[in-house]
Amino acid sequence: MRTIAEINDKILQGKAVVWTAEELKIKVQEIGISKAFKQVDVICTGTFEPMESSGAIINLGHTDPPIKIRQCWLDSIPAYAGFGAVDLYLGATAMADYSISETLERIPDSKTDRERGGGHVIEDLIAGKSIHLRAIGQQTDCYPRASFENNITKNTINQFYLFNPRNLYQNFIVGVNGGDRHLHTYLGPLQPRLGNAVYSNPGAISPLMNDPDLDVIGIGSKIFLGGGVGYIAWEGTQHFPLQKRLPNRTPIGPAATVAIIGDAKQMNSRWIRGCYLKNYGPSIMIGVGVPLPVLREEVILHCAVRDRDIVAPIVDFSIPRRVRPTFGLVTYQQLKSGRIKLEGKSVRVAPLASIALSRKVAEELKELIGAGKFTLTEFVAPIPKDRSFVPQDRRGSSLNLD
Amino acid sequence: MKKRVTLTFPQTTVHMPITYKLAKDFNVAANIIRAQVAPNQIGKLVVELQGDIDEIQAAIEWMRIQDIDVSSASGEIAIDEDSCVDCGLCTGVCPTQALILDPESFQLVFKRSRCVVCEQCIPTCPVGAISTNL
Ligand code: SF4
Ligand code: SF4
Repeated sequence: MRTIAEINDKILQGKAVVWTAEELKIKVQEIGISKAFKQVDVICTGTFEPMESSGAIINLGHTDPPIKIRQCWLDSIPAYAGFGAVDLYLGATAMADYSISETLERIPDSKTDRERGGGHVIEDLIAGKSIHLRAIGQQTDCYPRASFENNITKNTINQFYLFNPRNLYQNFIVGVNGGDRHLHTYLGPLQPRLGNAVYSNPGAISPLMNDPDLDVIGIGSKIFLGGGVGYIAWEGTQHFPLQKRLPNRTPIGPAATVAIIGDAKQMNSRWIRGCYLKNYGPSIMIGVGVPLPVLREEVILHCAVRDRDIVAPIVDFSIPRRVRPTFGLVTYQQLKSGRIKLEGKSVRVAPLASIALSRKVAEELKELIGAGKFTLTEFVAPIPKDRSFVPQDRRGSSLNLD
Repeated sequence: MKKRVTLTFPQTTVHMPITYKLAKDFNVAANIIRAQVAPNQIGKLVVELQGDIDEIQAAIEWMRIQDIDVSSASGEIAIDEDSCVDCGLCTGVCPTQALILDPESFQLVFKRSRCVVCEQCIPTCPVGAISTNL
């Protein structure tokens, strides 16, 4: 048994033993679970993948005369302004208003088009670039100003933090297209007649695959977020811990999620990238690393899980319904081989998460902890384990795998 | 054999049924990889010629007599390594496996010799890291 306080003491003395999840998995093969437990204090997991339920809170600071913003655009991308006077929320998938983007599409080399979204603006702000702000106010006795335009950078605004309502999806799906029309999806292009398959979770190295029941992380756990420090804030939207699970406790489809928060001013645009999925829309790719404290031997047991031990469902996107037909389950080992067999056909598979950068996140976090620059926190409340999933218009998560 | 060439047409020959001629007179199949042909403008075609080596040579000579510029330098795909995040999405659409993920490092590997400049990878890349110089 270890406590977080003991681990932190070791971190500050430079004596903590820190491994990446991949190193741990190899070690367990060599020396077994008990010996690995005796040696290691922290296991670093990481992912770098599109996480579209993400966004930034911004407080602009007050203008003179002051304005109560009701509508606002950052580089023509609308930001939500239904808070206090100069508080904004910029969502990662926000796109230029259709009327604006249609005009701009006809101007060659115009910076704003439908491919640029909130995620790109967030990346640019983090990179220190200047963003054009246009705001319309409701004139009141307190806030007489009717409109405002300015150029802002992260250094000319008060708060700028990411608050992502759903990140770190514990497992996801594999998309294929069994129809005969080319499909543009949130997993990228899916070619007809099972032309290709795309998966979006980095598998056994992914944070929540290594703590399947969220036993050692919870609300208040400190994480690596986009190159800076973040925290788990709450359960994520669509959090579905009751998903069916294998005996090793990993879920067979989309399951737990967390909401996370962190100061964007400290982040690095290397780990926060605006992205665009053709004919689907803009999104954001984020590097998130979660350190798992090795409090009990069970932690090692769960982290030892390998790509061959975890599965994802293959879902046919050609039927645009909430419950889509599936082609059964496939292991991440098969997915990472680049080919899967479907209906007797060999189908090429591509990831959408960057496995290379997911590894780098884990390595970067390991270095920070090893250098005594990143300590762990005790969580203050657990993430609920009993949330059921209300079917309304959920996406990709309602799977009938019987 | 197969040979990839870029054909540049003067305005006058744009309307010529070039692939039909190559097939009928030279027994050369011309697989169009990329076309940029607009009315009253210089046209560009990237084609893969398939046939006997002598017949391909004869076909190229015939096209040159028709005032069509034939160059073996076709457009090239460029990958911006600073921008690429090694997500691998492009590897799923590349028909020739010119784009693959290294099985160990999971980093993107581009094998230029396999690329047929079909350009399917360009719009697929979520961070716009792929471009062509044509
Ligand atoms: S242009 Fe076509 S062949 Fe070349 S790398 Fe891209 S997808 Fe592959
Ligand atoms: S799709 Fe783009 S970012 Fe992803 S591996 Fe290919 S070139 Fe790199």
